[in-house]
Amino acid sequence: MIRYDCFEWLAPQMKDELVVTSLSGQRVEWGHFSKRDADLTLGSMGNALAVGMGLALALPHRKVFVFESDGSLLLSLFNLPTLANLNPPNLAVFVFDNQKYSGTRISWPTATAGKTDLAAVAKGAGVEHSVLIRDFEEFQREAGGALKESGLRFVVCKIEESLAHRNIVRSNFDLLETKYKFVRYLERSEGKPIFQGRG
Amino acid sequence: METELAQKIVGSLKAAGINFITFVPETRLSEILPIIQKDGFFQLVPVASEAEAVSIAAGASLGGKQCGVYMEGTGVWVSSYNILTVGVRYGVPMLLLVGYVGSMADKRNTFLYAEYGVKMIAQLESMGVEYQILRDGDGLEGKIADAVRMMHALKKPVALLFTGEFTI
Repeated sequence: MIRYDCFEWLAPQMKDELVVTSLSGQRVEWGHFSKRDADLTLGSMGNALAVGMGLALALPHRKVFVFESDGSLLLSLFNLPTLANLNPPNLAVFVFDNQKYSGTRISWPTATAGKTDLAAVAKGAGVEHSVLIRDFEEFQREAGGALKESGLRFVVCKIEESLAHRNIVRSNFDLLETKYKFVRYLERSEGKPIFQGRG
Repeated sequence: METELAQKIVGSLKAAGINFITFVPETRLSEILPIIQKDGFFQLVPVASEAEAVSIAAGASLGGKQCGVYMEGTGVWVSSYNILTVGVRYGVPMLLLVGYVGSMADKRNTFLYAEYGVKMIAQLESMGVEYQILRDGDGLEGKIADAVRMMHALKKPVALLFTGEFTI
């Protein structure tokens, strides 16, 4: 299973779900398949899950998807006990675990290439629906379930390293533009102001 | 800290519109927590690290909440990466409510905290975070309202550093 195929399948099925992505190839690949204002590309490691939790708590009636990587989640493992205890039913977390820091261009192995099982770590932290999947059909089941059903879902997707993102032309939207696009979309769809400052 | 002062802090936060607070508990201002917890106006979110306190608040702020992040001064160091990435660089308003341990006016300052405290201002300034040092309850409601207005105007984190009377 490669992440590119997962995103190619999932992106056309998204409607008003909010998506938060971390850094590296997944940001580029998701942006390649999904051109929605509801996508928040953070452009940093170790933040996506926490930002997604904040969105899910602030907007409990909206479904929030978080796309993390193994390297990014390993930077913020303290998120997992918090996630378990908050248990937001409108949040689905997909960790694309290629067992490498592929953004380093030397594919240095992460801890998950060794003994660490992130699904087991999340389970131990108290996340009830924490699973590890290895094939595309399982991904379709979990992601399809997340689209249709309520309940916190934490899915570690063991993927092969793919460098497909290096052949994708990257967006010239900077982070502030991405943020405003997302916030203005939320203001329209929620019918309320988000930012309070006035000119 | 006296209960009356704790109530004044919480009342001022409420009056300024802060309605979502992430936190790691600490010693100097801890009396505010039971008051916040009892008040249905606030969504109170306990977390494991000040780093995620900032990032969760960033997400909630983008979702329309008016966010405070309550932490000990040492938490500013723990969360500096998050303050910079999802706060300053991404441009997300939030109010940092900091127990200013180790500062000159911290009445309980010890060798445990002094090194953090004396470098706090330099750390905030290096990140471009505006701040106010609060030593007593005089004009507290107005000062908190000013900080909230500033965080919205800048669309960035703004810090309130509580020391002096707040640390007794």
